[in-house]
Amino acid sequence: MKKYFLTFIAITLVTFAWVSCTDFPVDEDGLLITTRGQCYVGNFELLGVDFQTVRTKAAVIDTTAQTINVEVFFGTDLKNVYPQFSLVTDAKLDPKIVGKVDFSDLANPKVYTVISGNRLVKKPYTVYVTVQAKP
Amino acid sequence: MQLKHYSLTLLTILVVFFTACQDEEYALPTLEGGLHNDCIKRTLGPNVVGLNLEFAYAMALPQAEGKIISAQVEASIAGAPATYMENRSFSTSASGADVPVTVGSASVNTGTKTEVVFSKDTCAATLRYYYIIPEEARGKTVKFTFSAKASNGQTVSYEMGPYSIAKMDMKLDLVLSDNNNSYISIADMAVYNAASAATNAANIDLVYLYRVIPGITFTHALVSPASSPDYLPGITLPSGVNKSTKIWKVWALRDQHLARLQFGVFIDDIDFEKLNFTGAPDYAINLRAEAGTWVETADGKYRAYIYCNSINNTAKTMTVSIKRYPMQ
Repeated sequence: MKKYFLTFIAITLVTFAWVSCTDFPVDEDGLLITTRGQCYVGNFELLGVDFQTVRTKAAVIDTTAQTINVEVFFGTDLKNVYPQFSLVTDAKLDPKIVGKVDFSDLANPKVYTVISGNRLVKKPYTVYVTVQAKP
Repeated sequence: MQLKHYSLTLLTILVVFFTACQDEEYALPTLEGGLHNDCIKRTLGPNVVGLNLEFAYAMALPQAEGKIISAQVEASIAGAPATYMENRSFSTSASGADVPVTVGSASVNTGTKTEVVFSKDTCAATLRYYYIIPEEARGKTVKFTFSAKASNGQTVSYEMGPYSIAKMDMKLDLVLSDNNNSYISIADMAVYNAASAATNAANIDLVYLYRVIPGITFTHALVSPASSPDYLPGITLPSGVNKSTKIWKVWALRDQHLARLQFGVFIDDIDFEKLNFTGAPDYAINLRAEAGTWVETADGKYRAYIYCNSINNTAKTMTVSIKRYPMQ
């Protein structure tokens, strides 16, 4: 009986030791670093303070030129909008979006950098916002 | 070692079997004597002046011991004159409808007390109590003592509360109309036409307008008088109407007091206190039914939530309901 017990304990310890030594690299944000090298924005959304879209139509994303062009409704309060990026799997965004963002300085468009899953590729995307013109 | 394990297992099994074979005989519950009572609060959400607090007060004693002769509620602050206690006890029919049975005379309010004197020979009843929240209770707490008397001299009582009464005000179904009753005063909780707005210029906080402008989406809008003329097309403001009101647009915050819809959402005093209007714009355009706006007046004296109950593009009208909270 005692022999079985000791064998069980030994197997458990070895299993734990093996698991703890397996390498799962994480970055400074605690996110898993994977082998994926893809690095692009799949979709872009812009929400008002009421969490409704302020886009007049779908944003145009150019993954070659690394630009996002979005037109918003007349009267959109661009000082208080929430951007939402859909990124390729495992990628992350810099700077992080933690709340409302001021997009009102149209002359100086904001730049967000997409970082690939393997953290080796970085692509800056420029977000160009235009406001629906009043006739 | 092995023998010990077997003994322990055997003992456990025996205990389980012994317990499982216990014969639990059913016994009729013994009727507890004396007069008893219980109470529940039926209303939900914040307690706003002018609305009611509804309770259901149940009382009963064994039939052989007597009958109920009266039920009474004493509030710590006298309710508004419309406060009353039902003199009917309700049961529920098979179809779920409330079936009333009159058990006493109509309730009488005396000071802080509301009383129903029973006229039916009954040993059990549940009466509903509607406390209409008076102006005197605003911002205070109120509590209630329910009590009942039986013919055998027994009395029982039940304490409810304290309940906080909100500081906020409420105004329902104000009809705004483009180029007519289009000026909103949060301080007055009223809408004015241009002529009246000129005489109440100091209190005008928002202008309602409806515009169909080709190429852009404008439609129904609430705009601060001091906002850019871009958001007040075709509007000539009455003299002195120039306040800058901060506005946050909201979608689908359907406060049940204002919307009177099925959603169990309530705006309470604390929601107004926690709002942050830093960087808020002074206009909200393209409003739809079931949208709303948080508003702060230029002097910071009031915060309000304006809920859009309905819109009418043909009549160019918008019906709104307002909750207002005094900040000072």
